[in-house]
Amino acid sequence: MAKTQEPTATKLETELRRGALVLAVLSQLASAEYGYSLRQRLAERGMPIEEGTLYPLLRRLEEQGLLQSEWRIEEGPPRRYYKRSAEGTRLYKDLAQNWRELTATMHRLLD
Amino acid sequence: MDAQKLIESYTNDVARRLPRKLRNEVGLELRALLTDKVNALASDTGREPNADTALAVLREFGRPEVVAARYAPRGFNVIEPEHAPAFVKLSLACVALQWAVTLPRVATSAVSFDEWWLGWGAGALWWVGLLVVWFALAGWIQRRSPVDPHSFVRPWTHFIFWIPVARDWQPALPNAEELPYASAKVLVPLSAVLMVLFVSPAWFIGRLGVDGSWALYDAGFRRWLLAPLFALMVVRLVLFTLAAVDKQRRARTEAIRLALLAAFVVLLVWTLFRWDIFALTFTDLAFKIWLSIFTLVNGLNAVAWLRRLITRVHVPKTLTQR
Repeated sequence: MAKTQEPTATKLETELRRGALVLAVLSQLASAEYGYSLRQRLAERGMPIEEGTLYPLLRRLEEQGLLQSEWRIEEGPPRRYYKRSAEGTRLYKDLAQNWRELTATMHRLLD
Repeated sequence: MDAQKLIESYTNDVARRLPRKLRNEVGLELRALLTDKVNALASDTGREPNADTALAVLREFGRPEVVAARYAPRGFNVIEPEHAPAFVKLSLACVALQWAVTLPRVATSAVSFDEWWLGWGAGALWWVGLLVVWFALAGWIQRRSPVDPHSFVRPWTHFIFWIPVARDWQPALPNAEELPYASAKVLVPLSAVLMVLFVSPAWFIGRLGVDGSWALYDAGFRRWLLAPLFALMVVRLVLFTLAAVDKQRRARTEAIRLALLAAFVVLLVWTLFRWDIFALTFTDLAFKIWLSIFTLVNGLNAVAWLRRLITRVHVPKTLTQR
């Protein structure tokens, strides 16, 4: 029984975190960041994300018009910098508000 | 091979598996990310980035087909995205092989095209159906019992169906660079002998004291096609030898070699369908069956070669230094 519980717990935890990823990413992209620096920034603030998850997510958010990107060559190879679009900023504010309400509710439920 | 070349080889491998419009953008992005990761790992260990550091990062990052699959939209897949290239290649190979083996009978007028199409021709599509079922079951098993990401141990159920999973990613570039030189030592002399035999097989068989009349070329083939085919083979062999000795893959030589291979395949296809090669029908049919497979292998090689040439990740010309 314990053998099956461990993967299930991991899966549920992953799903829980996945739900917060979009908001976490949008929160850090008020100014332009490239993938690697964004990932480090998130990790430093306690939100590590696998590259394999982050990069496709950034592309999807851009396709949805929530991010805008541009290529830059500074030091090293060309890098793609992402930042929130106007629509992304609007959505971010809405999502942040929803998140605060949700966490307040969850706190009440869990206490 | 240095770290940067390994990264480029890896990103090319990923890019090849992506939809065309995504290839360059995603490839460049991955290249930048992987370069940063390799540099960071090297800096942590206080050393310069090297092949070992790069290989460790790339293998941890995941196999190219898995990385490419992350960019595909998820949903219910009958065939898993990472299995799709293998499915397409196997389907094409099975259909092409059946056609290559049976189509010469149309060329030699043993059966009409309609008869062939209603039998072996359309029948070859049966392979596609079989492979859909095969890969669907393989995908289902893989979803239910995935490979352990740390130990790479595959559950026993994976062995019920052949599930295309490689343990570690291997760079394609070093092998590709070394291949001509290593194989040239065998291939060049062997090809030279076969080409000399190709000029007049009947004569050489006669030299052995055996009746070689069954290996006489058709008069039309000998008059019109033997010389161009022979010349093309000689030029290709010379270029292959030069490339092998040089040990470098130079863009212009590679382009010429690819163009010559394409011309060779076209000439072979034309020969197969429009000409009698040997005077004796039986010899002609038997040789054409072999030649069909040979042509198919060369054709697939030309396509794979072309894909390698055109799917390299490159910096767009519009991108300017800031």
